[in-house]
Amino acid sequence: MKKIAPFTIALAFLASALYAFSAAEKTADAAKQGAAPAQPAKAEATKEPLVCFESRKGASEITQREIKPGWPNVKCSPTTGAALWYGDPYEGTVPLGKMPGLEKIPEGHAVVRPRSEKLAILPMCAVACHNGVGPAFVPPALPKDKKPVPIPTMEGLLPALKDLQHGRGRIWCLDCHHTTKRNMLVDNYGDPVSFDQPQLLCGKCHGDKLRDWRDGIHGKRIGEFASTGRKRWFVCTECHNPHNVQDGARNRGFAQLQPEPPPQLPRGMKDARHELVHPIPH
Amino acid sequence: MTHEETPSADPAREQEAERAVPPASADPAASAPRASRRDFLKAGGMLSLSSLMGTAALMVQSDNARAAIEWAEHFQKNYRLMTPQEKAEARARLERRYSQEYGRKVNVDTTDAQPGVLMGYALNVRKCIGCRRCVHACVAENNQSRGSRPGEKIEWIQVLRMERGEFAKEKMNQGYPEGLGIQVGGNAYTPAGEVLEGQYRYEPAAVPEKDATYMPIACMQCEKPPCVKVCPVRTTYREPDGVVVIDYNWCIGCRMCMGACPYWARRFNVNNPVLPKEEINPVTHYLGNRPRMRGVVEKCHWCLQRTRHGRYPACVEVCPVGARKFGNLLDPESEVSLILARKNVFRLKAELNTFPKFFYFYD
Ligand code: HEC
Ligand code: HEC
Ligand code: HEC
Repeated sequence: MKKIAPFTIALAFLASALYAFSAAEKTADAAKQGAAPAQPAKAEATKEPLVCFESRKGASEITQREIKPGWPNVKCSPTTGAALWYGDPYEGTVPLGKMPGLEKIPEGHAVVRPRSEKLAILPMCAVACHNGVGPAFVPPALPKDKKPVPIPTMEGLLPALKDLQHGRGRIWCLDCHHTTKRNMLVDNYGDPVSFDQPQLLCGKCHGDKLRDWRDGIHGKRIGEFASTGRKRWFVCTECHNPHNVQDGARNRGFAQLQPEPPPQLPRGMKDARHELVHPIPH
Repeated sequence: MTHEETPSADPAREQEAERAVPPASADPAASAPRASRRDFLKAGGMLSLSSLMGTAALMVQSDNARAAIEWAEHFQKNYRLMTPQEKAEARARLERRYSQEYGRKVNVDTTDAQPGVLMGYALNVRKCIGCRRCVHACVAENNQSRGSRPGEKIEWIQVLRMERGEFAKEKMNQGYPEGLGIQVGGNAYTPAGEVLEGQYRYEPAAVPEKDATYMPIACMQCEKPPCVKVCPVRTTYREPDGVVVIDYNWCIGCRMCMGACPYWARRFNVNNPVLPKEEINPVTHYLGNRPRMRGVVEKCHWCLQRTRHGRYPACVEVCPVGARKFGNLLDPESEVSLILARKNVFRLKAELNTFPKFFYFYD
């Protein structure tokens, strides 16, 4: 016993010394790692405000800002510029408005971000050209029917209209836009509908989608998940471009996006080619 | 009690002690030696004298308050067995430690399951475009490790890319016999022979690709979870609102649960997690996204820190196509209940009788 004691003590000292050493090393390591990400953060502060997009690139942008210290309204992906996290799901929203089927939702619990704020041409629509009786230029008359005619002025403003990819040639401007009130959309009775409530327009032809949307199955809602909770609803045009819901040969209603970066490769693996091979050819 | 509120007898000395702690530590365990329970157990296996010496070294190395916190953490009960008083103490301890380590007020919530709520999830596989936003939103919300060295980048959601099948006339007569030298069947079907398990690391310029479908996979919050059955320390268990959780402090890192999970949902912290100060989400739950330590397993918990307070999980909120749906299964009006009632729904690997509360559907 006497013989072992000094050994044990020596061992213990050695162990704790070794431990202390490794801890010091880790500390230095951590300091290095901590310093590295601090640099870009500093550089960012002097840069332009960060803007990220939600579902439609170029048509659903949000500007990042701090709501409270260290708490942004939205976090943006450094790779794709997509919105990755919501600090405030209700930012910039207004009430969705009345709609059949939403009676159970308490007042003010269904909100949307107004689309009209995103539309650059809209403010001119009823003012600059269309004054309520038709185009203000020659000939000053309302269109006689809803049938397709080329409109060079509009095509210049919105190139997507040149080859309207919605309905495969069976629908045209005035199926969606109000004949005389050009800053309004139109519902099934021909009554004007706000650009902030496109569901009342789309729903007249896509009733099945409208029903699913109303029940939260199609489209998306953020905020509180309870069926009577306060939610921001994404309206149809926040995901679909009404002037192009086919995207050419893709024939899909939702435009392609750049994906976020892939997961880390397993240790020692240089690329992901192993995912493409099958051990036994079929 | 928070770090800021801590009364101090001698402010100058406290500042001194704080400076000894590495600044801007990206790595909680590095600034606080011996944070892991596993290390502690290992040390216990050594000669008792030497482990005592180790403790002494621990006490002198950092400020006493922090060492005491860790000491207390090592000896706290399994979360499920704690009294409300003990829970409050554990919470205060963690809040103090995290707030100190991350240089800002970190909140550790201990809200229990809410009565009348059974959480459920549904994912529209037809809509998913494989953009991986959910994966990265999850990381931003749940304080996963985000280092660059192997094993330091942890993601809970995996998006599986599968090729669309195609039968081609030109291939009708190909490959008789191939591979094993026996006839294995027809050969007109193209991609099945090329991709066995699907791809996780696809990197095209734009998604969705023409020939692919995507299937995100994370924890299914099974009603009969195999991971819970195998856990030797019973640190992973099913909460009354249906979410399978982990008390990280009791995890010994044996990884039995990882082997038992048929959905590849669990991740292991091989290294000290790398979580830069400025990226931490300070709103955390004890059983959810509070910063983890080395040597423990973690996984999706449906953002308990949000969902226990009625908010949608982070992945649901960022999905650009609205493929992800979340709600209360006990409420017939919730979107998940309506999907179960109206759409075509399936569970992944239903034959295993794990009874996931995560459903896939299509319209
Ligand atoms: C399927 C219905 C539909 C059809 C058909 C349609 N539009 Fe639109 N249009 C919309 C909706 C909805 C918006 C609002 C878009 C948004 O919120 O992003 C819109 C927006 C616009 C805008 C404002 C865009 C901006 O960025 O400010 C113009 C101009 C316009 N449409 C012109 C036309 C013209 C001209 C035609 C016929 C060639 C046409 N639209 C056909 C539904 C339609
Ligand atoms: C006047 C009727 C009408 C209105 C209003 C209308 N659509 Fe359509 N939509 C159609 C028709 C017709 C088709 C083509 C169906 C087909 O040919 O397969 C279509 C197709 C679509 C498609 C599928 C794309 C495809 O062809 O596969 C989407 C997405 C879509 N519409 C979205 C919308 C949205 C969003 C709105 C509201 C801004 C809207 N629609 C308003 C008539 C309408
Ligand atoms: C959160 C985004 C989002 C919102 C909001 C949204 N949709 Fe869609 N919608 C999609 C996606 C994604 C698809 C699938 C498109 C594809 O196949 O590429 C789709 C498909 C469609 C289709 C094509 C039908 C089909 O089965 O392919 C129609 C029609 C449609 N949506 C109408 C609407 C209408 C009407 C609204 C508003 C009431 C709406 N959408 C709101 C994302 C959305």
